[in-house]
Amino acid sequence: MASFATACRWSARLTSRQLRQDAAARGFRTSAARLAAQNFTMPALSPTMTEGNIASWKVKEGDSFSAGDVLLEIETDKASMDVEAQDDGIMAKITQGDGSKGIKVGTRIGVLAEPGDDVSSLEIPAEDSAPAPKEEASKKPETPSESKLEAAPPSGPSESSAKKPSKPAEKQTYPLLPSVSHLLHEHGLEQADVDKMTPSGPNNRLLKGDVLAYIGSISSSYPTELSGKILKLTHLDLRNIKLAPPPAAPKAAKEAAAAPPPVAKDLQVAVSISMTSVIEVQQRIQKTLGVFMPLSTFIARATDVANDNLPQSKTYTPSPDELFNQVLGLDKVTSANGVRGSFLPQITALPQAAPAAKPKKTAPKSFDIIDLLSGKPTPSRLASRPAPGLSASVNVFSVTVPKGDEKRAKVFLDRVKTVLEGEPGRLVL
Amino acid sequence: MLRSLLVPRAAVRSAFKQQSSLPTIVAPSSIARLSKRSYATEAEEKDLVIIGGGVAGYVAAIKAGQEGMKVTCIEKRGTLGGTCLNVGCIPSKALLNNSHLYHQILHDTKGRGIEVGDVKLNLEQMMKAKDTAVSGLTKGIEFLFKKNGVEYIKGTAAFTGEHEVKVNLSEGGEQTVRGKNILIATGSEATPFPGLEVDEKRIITSTGAIALDKVPETMVVIGGGIIGLEMGSVWSRLGTKVTVVEFLGQIGGPGMDAEISKAAQKTLKKQGIEFKLNTKVLGGDTSGEKIKLDVEAAKGGKKETLDAEVVLVAIGRRPYTAGLGLENIGLETDDKGRLVIDSEYRTKIPHIRVIGDCTFGPMLAHKAEEEGVAAVEYIKKGYGHVNYGAIPSVMYTHPEVAWVGQNEQEVKDSGVKYKVGTFPFSANSRAKTNLDSEGLVKMIADAETDRILGVHIIGPNAGELIAEGTLAIEYGASSEDIGRTSHAHPTLSEAFKEAAMATYGKAIHY
Repeated sequence: MASFATACRWSARLTSRQLRQDAAARGFRTSAARLAAQNFTMPALSPTMTEGNIASWKVKEGDSFSAGDVLLEIETDKASMDVEAQDDGIMAKITQGDGSKGIKVGTRIGVLAEPGDDVSSLEIPAEDSAPAPKEEASKKPETPSESKLEAAPPSGPSESSAKKPSKPAEKQTYPLLPSVSHLLHEHGLEQADVDKMTPSGPNNRLLKGDVLAYIGSISSSYPTELSGKILKLTHLDLRNIKLAPPPAAPKAAKEAAAAPPPVAKDLQVAVSISMTSVIEVQQRIQKTLGVFMPLSTFIARATDVANDNLPQSKTYTPSPDELFNQVLGLDKVTSANGVRGSFLPQITALPQAAPAAKPKKTAPKSFDIIDLLSGKPTPSRLASRPAPGLSASVNVFSVTVPKGDEKRAKVFLDRVKTVLEGEPGRLVL
Repeated sequence: MLRSLLVPRAAVRSAFKQQSSLPTIVAPSSIARLSKRSYATEAEEKDLVIIGGGVAGYVAAIKAGQEGMKVTCIEKRGTLGGTCLNVGCIPSKALLNNSHLYHQILHDTKGRGIEVGDVKLNLEQMMKAKDTAVSGLTKGIEFLFKKNGVEYIKGTAAFTGEHEVKVNLSEGGEQTVRGKNILIATGSEATPFPGLEVDEKRIITSTGAIALDKVPETMVVIGGGIIGLEMGSVWSRLGTKVTVVEFLGQIGGPGMDAEISKAAQKTLKKQGIEFKLNTKVLGGDTSGEKIKLDVEAAKGGKKETLDAEVVLVAIGRRPYTAGLGLENIGLETDDKGRLVIDSEYRTKIPHIRVIGDCTFGPMLAHKAEEEGVAAVEYIKKGYGHVNYGAIPSVMYTHPEVAWVGQNEQEVKDSGVKYKVGTFPFSANSRAKTNLDSEGLVKMIADAETDRILGVHIIGPNAGELIAEGTLAIEYGASSEDIGRTSHAHPTLSEAFKEAAMATYGKAIHY
């Protein structure tokens, strides 16, 4: 609604600006170049406009304004429009006050000064063009000497003033709606009647209902009431907003308390891995390079490599975002290489002769990796001695996982096995 | 597989270097992430930072760019356009249009004198056509960003201060963005059905419904709103047996005019969609090969079990603000999760505004778009405008359903005396010649002033025809204004004019 109004006003401004520029250009040519003050004449707001009324000035004498500020509102028989300043300046003098009527286009209505000029000492230029005789008369008293002349309009402000307080009627600035003009003709109404009607449409558009109200076929206040109802619908209803309760901390605690009961059954997955080739490599390194690499290093590195690129956990529930990305096919771009796991195997040494025995549920003899770390110096330089808890030949590597993740764990352990039994040398190269 | 894994030895080794001490193997990935944190940078303050590159966010970003503001748009999804462009309006319309063509060739073209041999569905190709449309449009927005000088950051944003947003960049690392103004446009997500876990394969939302890799034999749609009916239509046309379960007594959601809704239900039923209205879904069992849904008449209590290969959950959408760090700056949401705003989209921190699905109003792309422009205008010019009384809604089934303004029930409830004028497409010459004449135009006007209060259309191209109704309401037109305006012959829009004539007088052709 209002945006349309703005647009319309814009276009009105644009045309008027163009026309005024023309007028101004003309003015410059006829007057002496570089006058300190310029006459401001009645602009033509439409190609057919010959005269207009000044509804009200939006600036006072002595006010400075910048380009784009509205200087005054002008009324014609068709519309009332704002006149904008083209440039920064000062309103030195208003010669036609609020409510002046029937001012011919091109007649001086005020004097503009450059920004920074001293208005009181400014020389007011003479009127450029010869206005209508009537205007001449009204202009008579304004001589350059009386620069502080009061801006009393010739025709008194009270008499005209388009801005009636309650705005019961409004002049129509747009083509009348087809229904409206039809009713006008049907009832023999004139333009004068149109001006007396109270518009209820968006941006004071005269609607069919307003004409009906005017001719008395419906209640005169009804169209406005209806508009009020419709106006309510044009806004979001932001009354009675029920705020969400602040995130309750106790609830979170309750959830935490509720969480334990459904304990997921954890499973143990185990694979037996021979350390022989690792120890072989270890010895070779020590022989050739004189560096001792503890077995723990091999295992840690093998674990790291094997953790890379594991299949997605079955128990993993993707977030809506991830599902969204899957649908878009974006998951293939970002995580095409699977997911990194965080398995840490527990290692139990098996008696030398029993590798054939299926890795039954080994009592998870807790294996502390810190022991391994701190154990570094203890085995001294005698490399072939396995670390505590590790057997030189076959060990059971096991991980405990929630149900559903067995496959993933198996993949992991198999990788550890391949790395440690197959080519442990690569881990240190 | 493992061998290939071991080949890039250097890579493995460099990974080891990052973790020189043993205990780190417990969670090596988090260490790697930590090391990237150091990239955080402090940036200049922008005029506007927009969180979300969906319809609301990207439109606001472009508008702000055009207004000469320094603007940053943060989007985590990797593609712009949000739900609408990626998994909503656009892809669904691609599928609706193409499935309609397929359905027509199967059932309709013969009667028009076009005989097509051997019609086969290539679903993969149909999906590809959809993806091409989507990617073309999202790329288009990226281009518009560049053209209008919008900075585009891919990542997840969270508030760390009233003027500060921390972005977890998609490609790793972190960035802090500061803005004089911040616009939240994080959109919405499908509301899940309690007890049915969405996997987008068997239990799907609209997101999964545009990406099924085969035509399921049976589908149950929970929720007979616009999304449910559109996606139900697509798969029904491609051969799925679709059953729509709706809790309310009418389809199309609460905004649709009851008369239009009944008409839509009749036509869709003719097309093969089953409806169970006034029916409540109690729960589901997904353990078997088929999903079993327990339903019960909402009032009667008659229970039954529905079997479905796929269940589409389309019970609505809810604001999406998770992870945004609202609590860090004390922003409030209402009981439905909508961010609280005033009439200028400001939160209680005035330079932070909210637009689109994550706040109040209908969750529609075009509404979000309007708000994007209006919010930027409020920031830049101090005044913006959205007329919430003239926002059209469209359902893109066949025939389409579209409406704007109030429906008959709403007008009745408001106590206004009204007149109704209707005109069926079966009396419209163009609809007749197109052999596509199902539906009607229904106009509701104030009884005394004749001012149009609502327009409701079901019929071919209703979505295009509704634009005229929207314009009429925006301008406060009476039905007579439309009836006295020339409409081209022979067009569907004549039905619109005739409905207007029927509202204030009599239609000529009916």
